[in-house]
Amino acid sequence: MEVLKAITISKNFGGVSAVDQFAMVQEENQITGIIGPNGAGKTTVFNLITGVYPVDTGEIWFCGKNITGLSSHRITDLGITRTFQNIRLFRNLNVLDNLRVAYGIKTHYTVWEEMVRWSRVKREERETEELARSYLAYFGLDKYVDTFPYNLPYGLQRRLELARALMAGPKLLLLDEPAAGLNPKEIHQLIQTLLKIKEEKNLSIIIVEHHMELVMNICKILHVLNFGKKIAEGEPKDIQRNKAVLQAYLGDEG
Amino acid sequence: MEFYVKVLEITCLHTILVLGAYLMTGLTGLFSLGQGGFVSIGAYTAAIAFIHFNAPFPIAILMAVCMGSVVGFLIGIPTLRLHRDYFLLVTFGFGEMVRAALLHLAQLTGGALGIAGIPKLVGLPMILVSILFITFLISNLKRSRFGRNCIAIRDDELAASLMGINVYSHKMKVFILSSAITSYGGALYAFLIMFIEPNLFNWLESAKLIIITFVGGVNSIIGAIIASVVYYSFGEFFRFVDVWRDVLLALAVLFVTIFRPGGIFGSWDFSLKNLLRWRAKKI
Amino acid sequence: MEYHILLQQILNGISLGGVYALEAVGFGIIFNILKFSNFSHSGVVAITAYLGFFISKYVYTNFLVTLILTTLAGGFIGVMIEKLIFRPIRLKGAPLTLFLVNSITAAMLVQQFFAATLGDDYYPYPVFMKQTSINLGTLTISKTYTLMLIISGLILLLLTLVLKRTKIGIALRAASTDVRTPSLMGVNIDFVISVAFFIAGVLGGITGYLLGMTYSVDPFIGSMILKGIIAAIIGGMGSLGGGVAAGLLLGGAESLLVAEIGSSLTQIAIYSGIFVLLLIRPEGIGGKRYIIKA
Repeated sequence: MEVLKAITISKNFGGVSAVDQFAMVQEENQITGIIGPNGAGKTTVFNLITGVYPVDTGEIWFCGKNITGLSSHRITDLGITRTFQNIRLFRNLNVLDNLRVAYGIKTHYTVWEEMVRWSRVKREERETEELARSYLAYFGLDKYVDTFPYNLPYGLQRRLELARALMAGPKLLLLDEPAAGLNPKEIHQLIQTLLKIKEEKNLSIIIVEHHMELVMNICKILHVLNFGKKIAEGEPKDIQRNKAVLQAYLGDEG
Repeated sequence: MEFYVKVLEITCLHTILVLGAYLMTGLTGLFSLGQGGFVSIGAYTAAIAFIHFNAPFPIAILMAVCMGSVVGFLIGIPTLRLHRDYFLLVTFGFGEMVRAALLHLAQLTGGALGIAGIPKLVGLPMILVSILFITFLISNLKRSRFGRNCIAIRDDELAASLMGINVYSHKMKVFILSSAITSYGGALYAFLIMFIEPNLFNWLESAKLIIITFVGGVNSIIGAIIASVVYYSFGEFFRFVDVWRDVLLALAVLFVTIFRPGGIFGSWDFSLKNLLRWRAKKI
Repeated sequence: MEYHILLQQILNGISLGGVYALEAVGFGIIFNILKFSNFSHSGVVAITAYLGFFISKYVYTNFLVTLILTTLAGGFIGVMIEKLIFRPIRLKGAPLTLFLVNSITAAMLVQQFFAATLGDDYYPYPVFMKQTSINLGTLTISKTYTLMLIISGLILLLLTLVLKRTKIGIALRAASTDVRTPSLMGVNIDFVISVAFFIAGVLGGITGYLLGMTYSVDPFIGSMILKGIIAAIIGGMGSLGGGVAAGLLLGGAESLLVAEIGSSLTQIAIYSGIFVLLLIRPEGIGGKRYIIKA
């Protein structure tokens, strides 16, 4: 089943074409990668999919539903979550609360009930807390419950961001440079974790990444962007030998 | 003795206003210089309803809260999407507009002369109960989804929206609730000090509410309450150096922001659970 | 309204607008570089207004000399404010909200300080000229207003030259795009910021002097600059030219309206107008839409 379909989406910023006629299809339970030199427009694609910027042209479909032009919070509610290139954890919420925030859309109590702490509130709060704690345990963060995110070591911050993206039970997970700043051991762990959660939670994952080992190892398909345009698409082993791709990364050798 | 009661009344009433500002500015990061506008709306609505329309006291108060909430909603529509600094200044503009409107509608409001002869129907018990109740409400909100969303929005609006939070809608709820609380405080104020006029609560007083919140620590309700109690009671006790207390307040705030940016109380908030846990540890 | 009264009002309005424009620019320079609303500007205006009074009354009663002294004092005060109130928290990487809080606090500090010390007295500036207005046909051109307009215009012209032609001006403009850029070019960012506050302070000094001269000094004179800040918003915070245009517009509109419908209705009208404008165009006249980087 098609989870995501981007139909020739484009985004222009003041005359500069950040994304130019990009198209892709993402299947269920699949990991794909978007790669390309810096400034190629990869994060912009994520921003378009998640509704941070409106597309100039084109459409985006998610699980058979047209999500073009929807606001970010609606898109998250429908089942797409993401992590960020520069970690964006909530600095004034502790680790547990950072996770709890992400589950808010799944709770049903109203503001009125909240104000008087009605029983439904207590029940759903407990539910939220249990789920959050289970994720903390899963990612090995349980002893950091009361810590504030920016006091954590970098590798753990990345894990926390990933946990946060999973809280609401998404169908599609967008990871923006998840390996940035990680050491080889942590990257290896990340690879294992991603493969595991894909199976366990039947997720579809799109990764924007520079780290070739990660990408080559776990992505089934790669899309290569350069100057906003897609220049290649295919399996990792083919992409590795693709002339246009090599040229984009290494420049003209003549 | 009566003097102390009076001091407590004024102090606690202002604390209600600080709580309104805490919800808006401390918790959610919406800097509004227009809280004074809601104080006036609350005060005048209640006074006019009581005096001109002979509404019973509870109805007058209720009308004040409703009026405040409705106006909050109307003002929120154009302003909540604005950049933070723009929001600050248009809310200032709102406060000025209210003042100008009160001056202009002299038939109803008495213009520059204000409304005098409001009976003293509000005393310390009512104010204290109000504070407890409002603190109860805000505290419950703070520790559940609502509060977490506020802080998330304050920290990073973009990330918040990508966590599924409808930022605009949430800000509107905060704005309306805060306006309701502030108008309620204004209504009580009218029946406490018995005389109201358009300059009742200007932008500087609104700014003070924000500043007090920061001194107490934006992540602590108790901090805001304590800072408020200290500031306003100090002002009442030292009436003769009234204007100097603002200078001292300003210096205190600068000291706190430079040396202890989390506010004096940081993120510490009183909770029965923590108290019991602490006591258990001691044993 | 009769033609000549209309013209008169427009003239008054433009002069007032000139002062608003000065305030808007003084405010806008800091906003451009440090990205926060600098309410302490009203403190500079108030201090220089009082200073101008004392200098002209007790030290030297010459218009130009006192103006220059006050203006320089303003610049100096601006730099001091930056050093004492903003630099400590900037060096600690404080969030923008804290800058805002500090600037409002500084404004309050100044206003209440004057209210506490010099509050109850009335401080009119000495009269500098024998004749306060010139008659041109049916129009009465107030000398003070004209001076305000001329001085505002000259200063803004001078500022534009500095920003476009001098090295420090270019550094300032670079800093408004990204506060780290000048340091990459080998320019000391602390120096650039101090210069920005100096310039803002100079503008504040002139504003304080002109306002004091026109309206006489009281502790709340600083609050008058809030109108200028409003001009800065409608002009679009990022655009100094927009701020100038908006200031002139605001001054003109205010003068005309006050003559027609009275002071309180004018306030309501102006603020309603601003609400509507920001509803339609949230970035103001000259501002740019914010693009958030994710």
